[in-house]
Amino acid sequence: MDNTNNYLLKVDNLKTYFAIKKGLLRRTVGYVRAVDGISFSIEKGQTLGLVGESGCGKTTVARTVVRLVPATAGGVVFEKMDVLSADRVRLRQLRKDISIIFQDPYGSLNPRMTIGNIIGEPLKVQRGTAGSELSDRVAALLTKVGLSAEAISRYPHEFSGGQRQRIGVARALSLEPKLVICDEPVSALDVSIQSQILNLLKDLQDEFGLTYLFIAHDLAVVEFFCAVVSVMYMGKIVERAGAAELYRNPLHPYTEALMSAIPQVEPALRGQRSAPGGEVPSALSPAVGCAFGPRCPWRQRQCQEQKPGLEESTDYKGHFVACWKCRGN
Amino acid sequence: MSNNGTLLTVKNLSTYFFTEEGIARAVQDVSLCIKKGKTFALVGESGCGKSVTALSIMRLVPSPPGEIVGGEIVFGNRNLLELSEKRMRGIRGNKIAIIFQEPMTSLNPVYTVGNQIVEAIRLHQRKSTSAAWTDVVEMLRKVGIADPQQRVSEYPHQMSGGMRQRVMIAMAISCRPELLIADEPTTALDVTIQAQILDLLDELQEREGMSILLITHDLGIVAERADDIAVMYASRIVEVADAKQLFAEPLHPYTQGLLKSLPRLGISAKRLQTISGVVPEPLHFPTGCKFHPRCPIGHDDKRCQSVEPKLREVQLGRCVACWYARGYEK
Amino acid sequence: MSERDRIIRKGAAPKGRSLWSDGFRRLRRRKLAMISFAIVITYMVFTGFIYVTELFDCQFELTKWDAKVGDEYEPPSSENIFGTDFLGRSVLRKALYGVKVSITVAFWASVISLVIGVPLGAAAGYFRGFVDEIIVWLYTTLSSIPYILLILAFALVLKGKAISLEWAGLGTYELAGITTVYLAIGLTSWVGICRLIRGEVIKHKEREYVLAAKSYGCSSRRIIFRHLMPNVFHLIIISFSLRFVSFIQAEVILSFLGLGEKNYPSWGAMIDTARLDLPKGYWWEMTAATVAIFLISLALNIFGDALRDSLDPKLRVQ
Repeated sequence: MDNTNNYLLKVDNLKTYFAIKKGLLRRTVGYVRAVDGISFSIEKGQTLGLVGESGCGKTTVARTVVRLVPATAGGVVFEKMDVLSADRVRLRQLRKDISIIFQDPYGSLNPRMTIGNIIGEPLKVQRGTAGSELSDRVAALLTKVGLSAEAISRYPHEFSGGQRQRIGVARALSLEPKLVICDEPVSALDVSIQSQILNLLKDLQDEFGLTYLFIAHDLAVVEFFCAVVSVMYMGKIVERAGAAELYRNPLHPYTEALMSAIPQVEPALRGQRSAPGGEVPSALSPAVGCAFGPRCPWRQRQCQEQKPGLEESTDYKGHFVACWKCRGN
Repeated sequence: MSNNGTLLTVKNLSTYFFTEEGIARAVQDVSLCIKKGKTFALVGESGCGKSVTALSIMRLVPSPPGEIVGGEIVFGNRNLLELSEKRMRGIRGNKIAIIFQEPMTSLNPVYTVGNQIVEAIRLHQRKSTSAAWTDVVEMLRKVGIADPQQRVSEYPHQMSGGMRQRVMIAMAISCRPELLIADEPTTALDVTIQAQILDLLDELQEREGMSILLITHDLGIVAERADDIAVMYASRIVEVADAKQLFAEPLHPYTQGLLKSLPRLGISAKRLQTISGVVPEPLHFPTGCKFHPRCPIGHDDKRCQSVEPKLREVQLGRCVACWYARGYEK
Repeated sequence: MSERDRIIRKGAAPKGRSLWSDGFRRLRRRKLAMISFAIVITYMVFTGFIYVTELFDCQFELTKWDAKVGDEYEPPSSENIFGTDFLGRSVLRKALYGVKVSITVAFWASVISLVIGVPLGAAAGYFRGFVDEIIVWLYTTLSSIPYILLILAFALVLKGKAISLEWAGLGTYELAGITTVYLAIGLTSWVGICRLIRGEVIKHKEREYVLAAKSYGCSSRRIIFRHLMPNVFHLIIISFSLRFVSFIQAEVILSFLGLGEKNYPSWGAMIDTARLDLPKGYWWEMTAATVAIFLISLALNIFGDALRDSLDPKLRVQ
């Protein structure tokens, strides 16, 4: 985070609000603050993890960064190019350099297209590749992700969830991207397949020098996979640290709660449960102060009145927290 | 009859689906034993047959194309498979209740939450309407829903996932069942809500002495909450043990592989261990031991390829179905 | 290595089973559907046959519907299965000839309604916003008018008008008879398919594979044609087959009301004339027309239902 010149992707105070329209005249009555001021940067070759429960906005961040969803405010810079204001030509270029692996192995592949077409279409669209050159490239990609090249003429429904996810990975790699956004790539897979896919992603990173933005809700998976982890809650980042540091030393009450809520196989690793009570509040009417305040066991007066910003902890360098309690250290 | 603390025994249950593409043997020869007041976990990945087992116990298997083709389910001193449909209805929701994974689709969106629970109560108990409604409010309070009087008139879509699951649980326990079958009750919920729901189930078990059949793929939940565990793979049970034993010393290669391939908090690794290959589909099961194509021990072994090992008790309370498991060959 | 991998590595590379081939395989297993399909094909082939004979001016016994084969109002006999009409013409031949009118009308009406309904539905569903609002307003208004009145109005207005196709070098085309009928039906019956396509496109638009396509730079046009259309196409086929029946029946009604084809026999016209003959005890013309209509309607309904059951991916057993 120090040498800001080396980053591949820099996100600055990004906000994505969805307007809620009601009534006959479709007037805007409020906003869902899906992403509410997110900042992070990823260096080349690094893996940044974005962790949080459903509704925290992590998927929206991914989609806003590639402009699948319009941003409301803030900035996104990729390789010194401003993404949010890029014109069509530059946006097309961007689509080559950033690719996404989606969560749902059943919904992310067009059921009426052959595997060859699914993986080859990015090449057709962006580079006009065709013919034997195209099928060679597709075959090479299939082999790279551990599938047989004969899969080219088959259809998605003939494959299992894990295999479909491999196809999704192959498609994401087809344009030789610089940054790969993994949006919960293993959440929908069986346990015994998850590890296969995670290993595959790691191997590909080593081989091709990829940079990953890894989004998940499973903390254990994120710890294994990522070098730096950011924890999201209600559209904001509440804590960021190196993976090992975060797990050794979670500072934010939400992170602590998240970790203690995870059911552990090893009895030794089960800590005291500090699960927060209550439900995740609706994104429509966020609290005035800290978003986690209503559920936080350590809530103070200040927490109800002012939102804490993400600041570096005085005791732990490189470890950032957005919490009044932690500030007092 | 046998009052040694056993509530429900499943013996050699087999459920097949007769489809256009062939016969899918979703559950084959499954036996398990649920004790009173304890939690029994049925663990396995998608497609292994655990949900079909649960539906078979409740006799809710969609038929056609499904059909229970063999076995016994002994509850109390009756075989559930021999009961008439009318009698079975008297047991469903009353003595044995079930909650599902997706509370949104399990609740009727056009009725209020209160209406649905009242219906469940009045189906099985002779109560006046007002008494039933009092019960409903009490149920909601029991499952930890704040302001139950208000919530009673809300619709499912007005509630969050965790709350809907609590409503499902309220409906399920409204008649104080002896056995609660929970089919992936927390898979669709966030981790923090999941912990709350599981705590709730534990609490209810303690208070009401209810047995729970917990069906899940999450080994962590199983380790923390279950007393006895059966591991299912491709329509068969491959290992049975109590919780401590299973995690301390898993005997079946599948269980071993599963445990090793889990990424674990606080234990950093460069690469994860994996189980190679894919889970087989019910229409295309391999010959011999169904796990052999993926098994580090058995994939080249002639016997594993051709003869399927039966589930055998190797110690008191421990069963395994593997030719090379410790204690299997005597 | 799974079984599948082993098979693949052995070199027996199976050609992919698309959802279409799956669907059609399931369809072939339904005997009743196949019989219905055979009936439909028979009707269509016969229509083609009539056109061909007229094109080449061949004369076949069966198509000479205007030949006098006997006395007036002869009841059914071994010679004339359905007897004769008031001019002594074979009712059987008239009924067979009526196939041409019905199938032609239904076919073109289907085509017209698809050509209007599908693009509008796709545009409304994909672009939403203003485009959607206009199209929805259009079809809501149109569908609020009683169907029969609408067709009648169109038929009356279009009658006798001529379309100038000179820009295509085809001269002017006088609207009469059959053309009026199928234009009227086609122009008013696109609402159903439009709604259907719109709904499906809206649903599929949010699927991740469409997002994926956008994420690697597919244009809107490519997404609509290469991704969305193939996934709604099965609905078009199902709708086509089920609507066909209603178009046949619409034509019958129009002919019955005197707005249809005057120069050739059609089932509707037959029923119209037979209406007056019935009290006199001459039931065969009415019967012949009704049987002809009933058979094709039944066949199309059965086949359409079977199509829907087979082609709908949601109804596959998981």
